[in-house]
Amino acid sequence: MSAPDPVTLSVLDNRFRAIVEEMGEAMLRTAYSQILNSSRDFSIALCDGQARLVAQADHIPVHVGAMPFAVQAVLEAFGDAIAEGDIYLLNDPYHGGSHLPDLTIVVPVFAAGRLIFFSVVRAHHTDIGGGTHGAYNPAATEIFQEGLRLPPILLGQGREPRADLVRMIVTNTRLPREVRGDLMAMIGAAHLGEKRLLAVLDRHGAVETEAAIAAILALSEAHARRIIASWADGEWRGEAFLDDDGFGREDIAIRARVAKRGDSITVDLTESDPQVPSFLNSSWPNTASAVRMAIAFLLDPDVAKNDGCFRPIEILAKEGTIVLPREGAPVTMCTSHCSNEIVEAVVKALANACPDRAMGGWGRRYRVAIKGRDPRRPGRDFVWHMFHARPGGGASSQGDGWSTAGEWHSAGGLKFGSVEMAEARFPLFFAKHEFRPGSAGDGTFRGGLGGELVMRLETEGPAVANTAGDGVRYGAAGMLGGRDAAPHHYTLERADGTERVLRTKEVGIPLAPGDVLHVRAGGGGGWGPPEGRDPAARARDEAEGLL
Amino acid sequence: MTARFRIGVDVGGTFTDVVCVASDGATTLAKASSTPADQSEGVVNGLGVLADRLGLSLADLLARTERIVHGTTVATNALLERRGAKVAMLTTEGHRDVIEMREGLKPDRYNLRLPAAPALVPRRLRLPVRERIRPDGRVEVPLDAASLDAAIATLKAEQVEAVAVCFLHSWRDDAHERAAAEAVRAALPGVFVTTSAEVLPQIKEFERFSTACVNAYVGPVVSRYLARLRGRLADAGYGGPVFVILSHGGVAPVEEAARLAAGTALSGPAGGVAAGVALAQRGLGQDLITFDVGGTSTDIALIQEGEAALGRGRTVGGERIALESLDIVTLGAGGGSIGHVGAGGTLQVGPRSAGAVPGPVAYGQGGTEPAVTDANLVLGYLDPDNFLGGARKLDREGALAAFGRLGAALGITAMEAAEGVHRLANVRMADGIRVATVRRGVDPRDFALLSFGGAAGLHASAVARELGMTRVAVPVFAAGLSAWGMLHTDLRYEMARSELGTGGVPADDALRAIWEGLESEGRARVAAWFGGAIETRRAADMRYGEQVFEIPVPLDGVEWDSPGLAARVTEAFHARHRALFTYALQGEEVVLVNARLAVIGRLPPMPAAAATTAAAPAEPFATRRARLAGAEQALPVFAFAALAAGQVVQGPAIVESDTTTVLLLPGDAARMDGRGWLDITVPKEA
Repeated sequence: MSAPDPVTLSVLDNRFRAIVEEMGEAMLRTAYSQILNSSRDFSIALCDGQARLVAQADHIPVHVGAMPFAVQAVLEAFGDAIAEGDIYLLNDPYHGGSHLPDLTIVVPVFAAGRLIFFSVVRAHHTDIGGGTHGAYNPAATEIFQEGLRLPPILLGQGREPRADLVRMIVTNTRLPREVRGDLMAMIGAAHLGEKRLLAVLDRHGAVETEAAIAAILALSEAHARRIIASWADGEWRGEAFLDDDGFGREDIAIRARVAKRGDSITVDLTESDPQVPSFLNSSWPNTASAVRMAIAFLLDPDVAKNDGCFRPIEILAKEGTIVLPREGAPVTMCTSHCSNEIVEAVVKALANACPDRAMGGWGRRYRVAIKGRDPRRPGRDFVWHMFHARPGGGASSQGDGWSTAGEWHSAGGLKFGSVEMAEARFPLFFAKHEFRPGSAGDGTFRGGLGGELVMRLETEGPAVANTAGDGVRYGAAGMLGGRDAAPHHYTLERADGTERVLRTKEVGIPLAPGDVLHVRAGGGGGWGPPEGRDPAARARDEAEGLL
Repeated sequence: MTARFRIGVDVGGTFTDVVCVASDGATTLAKASSTPADQSEGVVNGLGVLADRLGLSLADLLARTERIVHGTTVATNALLERRGAKVAMLTTEGHRDVIEMREGLKPDRYNLRLPAAPALVPRRLRLPVRERIRPDGRVEVPLDAASLDAAIATLKAEQVEAVAVCFLHSWRDDAHERAAAEAVRAALPGVFVTTSAEVLPQIKEFERFSTACVNAYVGPVVSRYLARLRGRLADAGYGGPVFVILSHGGVAPVEEAARLAAGTALSGPAGGVAAGVALAQRGLGQDLITFDVGGTSTDIALIQEGEAALGRGRTVGGERIALESLDIVTLGAGGGSIGHVGAGGTLQVGPRSAGAVPGPVAYGQGGTEPAVTDANLVLGYLDPDNFLGGARKLDREGALAAFGRLGAALGITAMEAAEGVHRLANVRMADGIRVATVRRGVDPRDFALLSFGGAAGLHASAVARELGMTRVAVPVFAAGLSAWGMLHTDLRYEMARSELGTGGVPADDALRAIWEGLESEGRARVAAWFGGAIETRRAADMRYGEQVFEIPVPLDGVEWDSPGLAARVTEAFHARHRALFTYALQGEEVVLVNARLAVIGRLPPMPAAAATTAAAPAEPFATRRARLAGAEQALPVFAFAALAAGQVVQGPAIVESDTTTVLLLPGDAARMDGRGWLDITVPKEA
């Protein structure tokens, strides 16, 4: 099949990108829950009939490389039975999903009876059942304690979801209305994608469209290979550590042996530590996506993120390790941890091949959720999720890192809410929310600063907190002689004058009015030796009070 | 009788457009080169050109001018080029990094090597003051004189030009902000001082602080510019009112524009949208998509039921301005956008632009990479000898050679490359309109495409086809429509107050009291601007209890005086939510966050003259060889000004004036509407 002329090719390439963007806008408009319409924790993809990623919208980087696994799982489960108008749904990390709260809708697109595309929407839901509110259960030792598992199911036919199946799913969550609303928004966005793709197929025909897809993927592959070929050849190791698994085991290693030869890269994760009993294990789609995300960060930002640009990458892993756990192990934390550590290990190794492209480590995620009563709203519980005091972004050869821009997996894409609004809505008093001086990793370019939060509880009666995260022993890594950033340090300063350090995986911490949560978030890692830093930049940091 | 004039002035990147409407409705357009170093110079030059065209001296013209309305890009450019004032911020101790935290967001998701952007106010000039107010208005920490004095000492030592006073919860009570601002004014006379609550008295500190800092940053620059403009106009003999068009599409006197300088950030494109509203009132249609194609970008906005959509602010030069402003989608594709082979190996158009210098290859000013304008020339759509009425000769050979180089890189001919660039520009513009419409949940096929700006007419019909739209309108004054639009909008003052209590919608009496407060303050302000009739329009920002985002809810149709007001306001929110998001949650807690009031001073309507005086249908004055869909053909060329009212031109054809060219594709039928526009019916794609 010959490629279409270069103009038609560009026209179709633009159309595919515009379609995913339009689907994303539709999702934003119709999503119900704040996690989707405010924090935008969802992603959109178009795949071809062979489950190859054709186009994606720039939403959550850690989703992107994982979406084709969902389509692959649908193809494996249903094969030739897939028909026009079908709606497929899955979330199971052992059958195409990443972790249970991420539901994925897959809609096939046909032309003249032939399967040409899949329109795919993935979104993080506010609850999916399981042992704790909001899906992150540090006590889980089996996936069954994390929530409802959905291997690929046929949710509906004739473009209509089955009402009884939807009811069954939402009944298994604590927030049925939110989950239903978000699920309907996902289906709507996927159908919008289908409608737009049908118009493309109507105009260009299946043959020209498929030829264009092949050409677009080939161009992206060539683009990625040209860049990779410009890097030094060699084989290097990169390591990153998780603090602990919450059950007493510390220093859990992600080990990447990365070989770069010519225009190809092999990432071998087989030497990573064995799987753990808790939710830090990474499902295979998530592991593959984390590796792809790391390499996407090292390529040029304008390389089209599709199947082509991932072709130069081979990934090896061993079953029973934390990056490829046996079916049944809990995995909910994996989109943050150990995604962040996988990215860091790969970037560390490849920093030797392309030092000017490598960046210092981005922060790690450490969540806190508080449940209690507001004296201003009697008779109702509130739940507050902390997105404030974000960690810092990593430095690079191009300059200092972004302060409070977050973690590798979101990379400046996750918004925290207004302090004023939080005080008006919750019985919380934010005495301080500023940069945390000294938190950045030093270097020729320094990392971004993490945040500091001093927050006093003003609840009516006792409250309770859960934590879920990592990074209090290991800060974001410095790169190429740059220093590691300070790790997180969260303390609880009790109203009675006592104080204790919070651990990253605790359930049911009792709190009293007047207690103060003192969060000191880690910064971003530095890039290059600190001796290389421009003295004027150092003087500026001094004057700015950042050191 | 001596004609009186009203004059609109729009300063663009390349040209300053001046449009004059006389008391008999006669409308005249003049253009002068923009003068970026001091835009007011180009403004006065443009007025001089206009006086020549009218056969008057500049002094005579100005003596007979009743009103000048001005669109300026001074604030926009200061932000984009980082040439604003040296600003310091006084802010609540413990919260000095709000503007640099940027809510945790960073642009350009996959670019992790993007260096951190410096904040508009550096941290050492974000000076903490001990004070704290609670969301319910209680004072947690009184304003501490010692820390305020220390901050003021730093302001003096640093010789700042402007100060933004930004304290937490000033939306509820701005007593501390006002006291601190007074102290600063007393200690540093002549320094521009702004408080966050006077700029945007709304909850959410990032938006309020950022807007206040932008206001302080551009305030001195805009004030100086407007003073220079007034000076030049006074020297030329003008003593009448000067209004500035603001980001929300209304106008205000220069003093107000200087005070709320951040509100002029969208002054440039606002005129075009105002023109769309005015044309809707003249019968063009109630639902329009404005499509303004300039040199580097295309601005797209929606007019629904005759009104322009407003949004909650904009980001300009990376800085958030949360003032009510027109919801304009800007796309990096215009006449100057460059066609090139991207790093990925595909043909791309933009976002790089040839700009005004060197401009497209055809300008012969050193440009080597072909732009969209070059494609339009090479394809035969533009007349190389009559561009801008012959003011600029275009170099077709040079442009063709540039496409030869581009085509060689892709393995196609020069003409195929030129056609590809034209086609890809159409596709990108159509995609921009898709995003702009889906964002508001509407179908573009229900709208007419209002095409203006120098380059839009060559793309509008093809863009409409891409979108399944069947109607395109090109106004006679397409090239100066923004300046024309400024003359047709009203005085407008936007007010907002956060009224967030512990939740819910306030009771009837409390609701009435809130808006009465806004109304008396707003009417007093606008009454100081002019003596005509004043209207007000109510709206509110509301949400369901657990949601994070509020939605704007118009309250115009809500009966205000009888009992049950709170229930009616609540119902208006449910209905709005359903319209926007397809569902409503009856029974769920509804929260009113911001009360809004638009205070509008109606300016007298502008007279309209017939747009054409041609008595008989015009014949084409030339034919031009042009390439359409891969084949060369001879197209008839009509003079826009010679078309008679009601005359229909069948495509394919070209309709052109000195300042704009319209390409009609096969199947198009363009009817000259005597009210001032070419009304094009585009066939539905098979």
